[in-house]
Amino acid sequence: MKALYIASTGMGAQERNVEVISNNIANMRTTGYKRQRAEFEDLLYQQITRAGSQTSDQGTMIPAGLEIGSGVRTVSTPRVMSQGAVNITERELDVAIRGEGFFMVQLPDGRTAYTRDGSFERSPEGEIVTSTGYPIDPGITIPGTATSVAISPDGMVSAYLDNESTPTQMGQLQLARFVNKSGLESMGDNLFVETAASGPAQVSVPNNDGTGDLMQGYLEMANVNSVTEIADLIAAQRAYEMNARVISGADQMMQATSQLR
Amino acid sequence: MENAQLISLSKQIALQRQMDVVANNMANINTSGFKAENILFEEYVMPVARDQDFPSLDQPLSYVQDWATMHDLSGGAMVQTGNDLDVGLNGDGFFAVQTPAGERWTRSGAFQLSATGTLVDLNGNPVLGEGGPIQFGAEETGILIAADGSVSSSAGPKGRLRLVEFANAQELTREGNNLFAGGTPVAATNTKAMQGFIERSNVSGVAEMAEMIRVTRAYESAANLAQKQDELRRSAIQRLGDANA
Repeated sequence: MKALYIASTGMGAQERNVEVISNNIANMRTTGYKRQRAEFEDLLYQQITRAGSQTSDQGTMIPAGLEIGSGVRTVSTPRVMSQGAVNITERELDVAIRGEGFFMVQLPDGRTAYTRDGSFERSPEGEIVTSTGYPIDPGITIPGTATSVAISPDGMVSAYLDNESTPTQMGQLQLARFVNKSGLESMGDNLFVETAASGPAQVSVPNNDGTGDLMQGYLEMANVNSVTEIADLIAAQRAYEMNARVISGADQMMQATSQLR
Repeated sequence: MENAQLISLSKQIALQRQMDVVANNMANINTSGFKAENILFEEYVMPVARDQDFPSLDQPLSYVQDWATMHDLSGGAMVQTGNDLDVGLNGDGFFAVQTPAGERWTRSGAFQLSATGTLVDLNGNPVLGEGGPIQFGAEETGILIAADGSVSSSAGPKGRLRLVEFANAQELTREGNNLFAGGTPVAATNTKAMQGFIERSNVSGVAEMAEMIRVTRAYESAANLAQKQDELRRSAIQRLGDANA
């Protein structure tokens, strides 16, 4: 009975759908989180009669074929890279990106990771680091004597040192853009790494070459919409139940067969 | 004598296939742009003896045969995703994609950009515009897709999506991966592209569920018929074969 296997692919797909949705809901309050969406595809079809097969010598042919599909598979879980809500926090090292682009983060193993999470801190040495403690790239160090830090929309970081009345420039934040943002690989910790599918990072200063500008004192929230997620969850759950019913229906048919003697 | 059993067997096989089709529709209830399938049956009338001289004429027997699967091409629900690269189609048209095996048609408008900036489907097949694949540069932003399928970005017009329609869409065959093949495409006239929307599968869960129940019940009754017929034969053999009768 093919229907059993077909329905089991359906249950598998819905299970994965629920996993993706629950991860979105779990990360509803994660700064800079981008929601994922499960995308499905139908599987190969068994061609029992091909459309257009001849039915007589007069050239009449079958107008529609007889084909039976073999279920569904999850093809990808692309991230929806739309802008999340921007909330005011009034912390001087909270930075939100308005528009496209990612902050660059130096990983301990030497690689560069990318993030939309702009909740930065200062390390004991005064370096600007992410909340996980990884330095941002290019590295910017703010001396301990600085009283306040200002970050301009185009990424210029300046600090007021020793109560001077004019700020001193400490460096400029840079943003990376990708041709295919959805192709980035997530590595947890709000970080993404580049893949062959994302294309190479194009680094530029904010407000240039299609990158967004920066907003100091704001954080970008997750772009998860709880109502949509719950609606999707209900739909996935019902679809799972229906596929389970198909399995029991197919089982009932098999039972009818096996009782024949 | 076995005719009744063979007829119910033909019904059982047809119903099993129908169950497979229902299962496939149900499995794809969340697949973007999926079109439900319906299976059609026809009566197969057994040829009978042509000679009219028999005292009682042969009764025609009809078997059942699955004949074709029809694509239910009605539109699925349009869901707003807000994603620039999601395109829903309003109308009967299809998108054209370039696969290694040639041009294929799809209703699934969940597109992506490749690493080199080409508009591709979920399997990385380029989505065709009227003059070939649609290509974006690295620094372009603000991709816009108009109702007639024309694509533009911050760098200006990028071409127009090739939307096709079919006079007889039933000729299309399914290939899996949300792709349809074959048919004679003509340029779409009644199809509108909707950016930021995705067309869900047009499978109706309730209708399929009802269909499934009907199929299982019909199958059971066919199995029952075979069983009864067998019992009849068995008791006939028993009675007639009884030496003391």
